Amino acid sequence: MADVRTLLAVALGALLGVLCLVAPEAIVRAQTAGRRPDGRGGEYGADAVATRWRRLVQVVGVGCLLVAAYVASTAL
Amino acid sequence: MAVVGSILFAFYAVAAVVVMGVFQWPLSLVLLGSVLFVGVQYKIGKWMALRSVGAEDLPEERAPDLHRRVESHARDMRIDKPRLMVAQMGVPNAFAVGRKGAGTVVVSEELLQTLDDDELEGVLAHELAHIANRDVVMMVLGQGVASIVAIVAQWVVLMTGDNDIADFFLAIVVGQLTQLLVMVFVFAISRYREYVADSDAASAIGSGEPLARALEKISRGAERRDTEIDSQVNALCIFGDGGGIAKLLSTHPPVEKRIERLRQ
Repeated sequence: MADVRTLLAVALGALLGVLCLVAPEAIVRAQTAGRRPDGRGGEYGADAVATRWRRLVQVVGVGCLLVAAYVASTAL
Repeated sequence: MAVVGSILFAFYAVAAVVVMGVFQWPLSLVLLGSVLFVGVQYKIGKWMALRSVGAEDLPEERAPDLHRRVESHARDMRIDKPRLMVAQMGVPNAFAVGRKGAGTVVVSEELLQTLDDDELEGVLAHELAHIANRDVVMMVLGQGVASIVAIVAQWVVLMTGDNDIADFFLAIVVGQLTQLLVMVFVFAISRYREYVADSDAASAIGSGEPLARALEKISRGAERRDTEIDSQVNALCIFGDGGGIAKLLSTHPPVEKRIERLRQ
């Protein structure tokens, strides 16, 4: 039977993966706000994120889901 | 805002106490490390921001009126006149970096071409207000707190685990989710500061109308482009429609609301 930390790794990893897939802009903004100027991927006053960054975060999200699935398959 | 600021401080305080307990660091070292971390982020961030857009100085001979207006507003806001720069960004955009005594405002060539003089003045006054209100520094500080709390959370998970693959994965995931959680509060402050900068810009130029017109003009152009470029991407993003959670994770308030407030 898997321990609590492994279960947490699977559950939180899947949560982060889904977040990356459905809200890539939020993930990019959380990393770049205060480090890069606002709205670099879009217009003045907008909160846009460049398409290539959204795609990259979505790929990372798929990676998270795969690792979560691997951890689940080995531990459960 | 005081409540949100207190919550951010509480996050930082917990992280500091954990570092003091786990690594046996004295408080002075924790504070010094935090200041250094944020300071380096600020310096690198400013340099990177200007470099990443290829910003160049806007010569006074090219836009004498713009320089004169910026100088006048800077005097009114009691800040040194910021360095004015211009860059090719592909879209109408402007941003401010730096602090009160060493600010820089960058405008895109596209913004200069899109807006008339009064609208441009509104945008520049808004950016000057960000510098005067120390909003750039505040955002760097917020990001710094979020990063420190995330790193500490990550290390706590790593140091209390068995160092197997599940533990490494859990540490990375906890770090990212913690950063996102703290940033929700930083975003709330950022949205509030946008309204304050709008209000200060309106006071400086005597009316909110020029900035409202500028925002309206730019967002109309953006809507046309969005429908051409991003329809397939937005289909994947459930937060792309500006709904409840999207607002929570945005650095800017909705443009329509800003226009509405500017015209009140």
